Order: sequence, then structure tokens, then C-alpha cells
Amino acid sequence: MHPIQSELATQWITLLAAGMLVIQLLMVVQGMLLTNIRLFALQSLMLAAIAAIIAYFHNATHVYWVAGLTLVGKVFFLPWLLNRIVRRIQIHQEIEPLLNSTASMLLCGAFTLLGYVVARPFTSLEQLGNNTLGIAITLLLTGFFLMFNRRKAITQVLALLTVENGVMLAAVALTTYGMPLVVELGIFFDVLVAVMVLGILVYRIRETFASMDVDKLSQLKG
Amino acid sequence: MTLLSPILIVPAAAALLCLVVPWRRMMEGLNIVAFAVSLGLGVGLLHAVQAPPCVVTECGEFFRADALSAWMVLLITVVSLGTSLYAGRYFRRDLAAGAVSAWQVKEFFVLTPLFTAGMLLVVLANNMGVMWFALEATALSSVLLVALYNRNTSLEAAWKYVILGSLGLALALFGTVFTYAAAVDKNSTNLPSFNWSHLMAMAGQLDPRMIKLAFVFVLVGYGTKAGLAPMHTWLPDAHSEAPSPTSAMLSGVSLKVALYALLRFHILTTACLGSPFSRHMLLAFGLGSMFLAAPFILVQTNLKRLLAYSSLEHVGLICVGVGLNSPVTIFGALLHMGYHALTKPVLFFAAGNIHQTCHTLQMRLMGSGLVKVLPLTALCMGLAAVSAMGLPPFGLFFSEMTVLSGGFASGHTFVSTLVLMALLAAFCGILYQLTRILAGSPKVTRQTDARAFDGVPAMGFMLGTLAVFSVWLPAPLLGLMERAGHIIGGAQ
Repeated sequence: MHPIQSELATQWITLLAAGMLVIQLLMVVQGMLLTNIRLFALQSLMLAAIAAIIAYFHNATHVYWVAGLTLVGKVFFLPWLLNRIVRRIQIHQEIEPLLNSTASMLLCGAFTLLGYVVARPFTSLEQLGNNTLGIAITLLLTGFFLMFNRRKAITQVLALLTVENGVMLAAVALTTYGMPLVVELGIFFDVLVAVMVLGILVYRIRETFASMDVDKLSQLKG
Repeated sequence: MTLLSPILIVPAAAALLCLVVPWRRMMEGLNIVAFAVSLGLGVGLLHAVQAPPCVVTECGEFFRADALSAWMVLLITVVSLGTSLYAGRYFRRDLAAGAVSAWQVKEFFVLTPLFTAGMLLVVLANNMGVMWFALEATALSSVLLVALYNRNTSLEAAWKYVILGSLGLALALFGTVFTYAAAVDKNSTNLPSFNWSHLMAMAGQLDPRMIKLAFVFVLVGYGTKAGLAPMHTWLPDAHSEAPSPTSAMLSGVSLKVALYALLRFHILTTACLGSPFSRHMLLAFGLGSMFLAAPFILVQTNLKRLLAYSSLEHVGLICVGVGLNSPVTIFGALLHMGYHALTKPVLFFAAGNIHQTCHTLQMRLMGSGLVKVLPLTALCMGLAAVSAMGLPPFGLFFSEMTVLSGGFASGHTFVSTLVLMALLAAFCGILYQLTRILAGSPKVTRQTDARAFDGVPAMGFMLGTLAVFSVWLPAPLLGLMERAGHIIGGAQ
């Protein structure tokens, strides 16, 4: 590949990866559920764009598949499904976090720092973009935080999906071409099925508890 | 002869057939036949992996089985077979009592073979990415089984299970990606291989820092699925709220399948680093699980939670056996996997019978004297409990002794003493709790159960197998375990 082209690809990938991080932070402070779902769709769109850029600059056909699957599955289908669940069970739009947004933001700043510190020894191994591994680890940490901070079943599903986006980012950042197609396909279908299973459980929890608050799930102890 | 793909296809086909078959009896039969056929094929595999070159591959190395995989295949199929023998009668009683609908029973008979097929794919896949998504598939099929009763507690258990399990698996996927990245060759444009056989062959050239980071992620990730403390919090909930046949599968093999995945990474990490890094971690987590389980066993009030914590303790011991890394302790750990897989389902089957008769799992409400109410069930439970406590003449005694003596002999006096203490505490706990409900005379008057033989064939099958293999290990099986031990020990 031509060096200038390579430089261009790296810059685009770095920019988009940073965009994914920014969206993750927006999700941390954003209280509206439907907006959160849209933000997730946008984040997935950036991931799909990264895959498409890699496919284009490296002439790797199978990475186009990855981009396409991400686009169909994570940008359109899953947000549509989650939207449907939210509308069907008519829950409150506002999500009450445990920590207020200022504290959450500070904490996520710390997570970002931690992500970069963990990734630092490995920057020489990164094949594409700058600091993409750091961003991937930060997505993981903030995803965990989102899960603990928002005590609603649907937001926990969303948090899980952002962690998943982080893994995919790590995969493309570290290995140039992403993973073999069979693995990508397997992971893709697992994520789809996982969200459907979670959806079924959300419905049942909603019916049984008349709520989506996971704090109500606290009878089993010891 | 092709062996590996039929082992996978048979249960998967049974699941699909159960989806279209309208009769419950036929679904039961299909499950039993499918698992019996898989078990037969597993025995065939047992012989196949002993002949040179000691590895069976199929579909262009997509499937690969060595001695360790063959051992896992045997455990998975035998526990599935026992479960399917038990499940028919169990659900007949549940249906009669109105606890489940016909649709939920169908759900069970469709999901259980899928669960088994997923576990078989985990141990037969050569590709670590495929192994990951097979594990995720087992988690997804079993979570609906945990939620089968649709009570609010079972939904809670299922939610915790799926959320913690998925988080764990996401971490494990990070670890898998890191391992993959460690194999990237910067000077070539070829895609690095995801295959275990290939990774093991080039273990010396992998980036050691990356492999270390990967192992930490995998340990926490697959460790969650294997129920290692402190990531075990889903385990007692899921085990106690699932229908008893599912609890038996979860505890009997599903934990060990996750452990198998972890062991594969341990083998690779040790081969790459040449240092005791990964086994020290296994040792620490194993000991932690054992010590965490013991007090919970002593103060437990719920029968199935008691059994779940006992599983946590046994998984801990298996990790310790591998972590001590002498050939004797590794052999003991493998032996322990097998005997535990035969023992724990019996306890869960008996607990299921008790649950259906007493309509509670709280041992206080059951009261004493179950031996008078359900004589055969109480007898089987008593025998299995003797085994689970680690008393002779059952196998768990021998495997625990093997791990302990290996530990002392290889100079790990401190660790072995700790293991002995944890085992003693668990022994006292199980003895105290179970004698309280089994022995004595009943205080609560209950209708004597007319169908006292319910579940006895399944329990008899597992206990019989356990008793036979406790005193007599056939040469092929012994050879298989020794070979598997060599694989874990790095075959130095």
C-alpha cells in the first residue's frame, strides 16, 4: 500500500475510534433511554465505517462482510428491536443513575486514563490507528460502569453491547484484517441471539415484577 | 471413520426433531437415544485418540480432539444421558402438579440437546474463536432453562446468570483477541491462525506480554463461567432456581467445560512464557473458591444452594490440582472432574424428588426423616453425599487423596494443608446439613409418595457407573487420563 494512503487510513481510523469513545461518554451522561439507543446505533455506525475503511485500503473482501453485518445488525436491527421493546412495555424514559452525571464524567475520565495506561506497553503492536487499543479497553471499563450505574434491564443490555463494540474495535486495531470470517459470523449471531434472549427475559421480568428495575431482583441471597 | 462431526450432529438433530415432534414421550425418547449414541461415539473417540498420532482431526482441522477433549466428551455425554433418563419422570410429575405447561416441557427437551451440542463443540473445536461462541451458545441455551419455571426468583437468577455470564464472556473474547493478536506476524500479510494446534506449534514466538494480558482476561472471563470465586455469585442462584435436571447439567459438566476452555489457555500460556505465571493464578483462584465455599456450606438453609456451593468447592479443588502442576496432582484433578460429574447429578436428582414431594427447598421446612418419606431417594442421596464428602469407597476420596498426596510429595506443604482444611470444613458442612434432613423420623406428616421409584433409574445409572469406576479404571480410560495429564502438564 502507498505510504500516504496508509497515513490517511490511520488518521481516519483514529478519528472514528475517538468518536466511538466520545459517544460512549455521552451515553454515560445521557439520561433518556431512546437517545441512548440512538447513540449506540451511531457508535456501531462508526465501527462499521472503521471496518469499511480497512477493507477499502487493504483490499480485504471479507472485512466488507464484517462492515456489512455490523451495519445491518448493530446499526439497524438491534436498535430497532430495543426501541420496540421500550415502546411495547412503556417504561419511564428517564433513567435514574446511581451517580450523578458530574461524578460519572469524572470517573469515566479516570477510566480513560486507566485504559491508556494498560494499553501503553502494547502500542507497538497496534497495526492500525493510534491508541485504538486504549480506546477499546476504555470502552470495556466504561461499559462495566454503565452497567452498574444504570439499574434498568434495558440499559444493562445496551452497556453489554457497547462492551461488545469495544472488543470488535480491539480486534480490528490489533490484527489489521480482523478475525477470520467464521469467527466474526459466530460472534455476530451470538450477539443477535443474546439480545433476543435478553429481550425475552425483559418481557417476563416486566410481567412478573411490573418493573424493569434490576434492584427489585434481590430475593436470592447467601 | 468420521467420529467428531457425528458426535455434534446427533444431539443437534435431536433438538431439531424435538421441535417438530408433538408427543412428550417421543421427545424424552429422542433425548435419551441421542445422548446414548453420543456416548457410544465418545467411547469410540476414547479408543481413536489413543492410537498414534493421538489426535483426531476432521473437516480440514476445523474439529480436533486429543485425549483431553475425548475425556471431556465422555463426561458431557454421560451426564446428559443421566439427565435425560431423569427428566422424563421429573416433568411428568411437574405437569401433573401444574407447575409447568406442555410448552415449557417442550422447551426443555429442545434446549437441553442444544446445550449439550454447544458444550461438545467447545471441546471439539480447534479454533479458539469457535470455542468462544460455542461457550456463549451454551450460556444462552441454559439461561432459558434456568428461567423455565418463570417464577420471580428464577427470572432473577436467569438475569444475573445471563448478565454476569455475558460480561465474563466479553472479557474472554478480549482475551481471545489478544491471543490472536500475539500471533500476528508483522512481516507477512497472511492472516494468523486461530487454531490451537497452530498456536501451540508457534508458542515460543508469541509475544509474551500480550499472552500474559490475554490470560488475565481469559481467567476472569471463563472463570466467571466456571464459577470461580469471587465471580461465582450467579452460580448458587442459577443452580437453585433451575429445574433439577438442568441444575445437574450445569453443575455436573457446564462448569467443567468452562474450566476446559481456561485450561487450554493455561497450556498455551505456560508453553509461551515457560513460567509458572498462569498456574499460580489458577492455584490462587482455586484456593479462594474452596475457602469461600466452605462457610456457605456450613450455614446454608437451601438444599440446592448447598449443593451449588459444594460444586464451587470441587471446581476449586480441580483448579488447585492443575495449579500444583505435578503429574500426580494433575491426574488427581482429571479424576476429580470425572467422579464429580458422576456424583453431583445424583444429588440434584434426589433434591428434585424432594422438592416435588415437600414443595420446598428450605431444609428447615423439610424437617428430618426424609428416609421414611422417600426411602429410595434418600438412600441414593445418602450414597452420593458420602461420595461428595470424599469418603471411601467412592472415587472422590481417591481423587482428593491423589491431589493431596501429590501436593505434599511435590513440596507444597502449605497449600496442601490449606486444601485439607477447606475439604474438612466442607465435609463437616455437608455431613451436618444432610443428616439433619435425611435421618430421624418425620415431624411433618406428608402423604407417602406412591411413585417411590421416580428418578431411581437415572440415579442408579449414575451411582452404578460411579461405583464401578471408583474401584476399577479400565486400561483405555487410565491411558486416556494419563495422556490428558501430559497435555495439561505441558508434556515436558
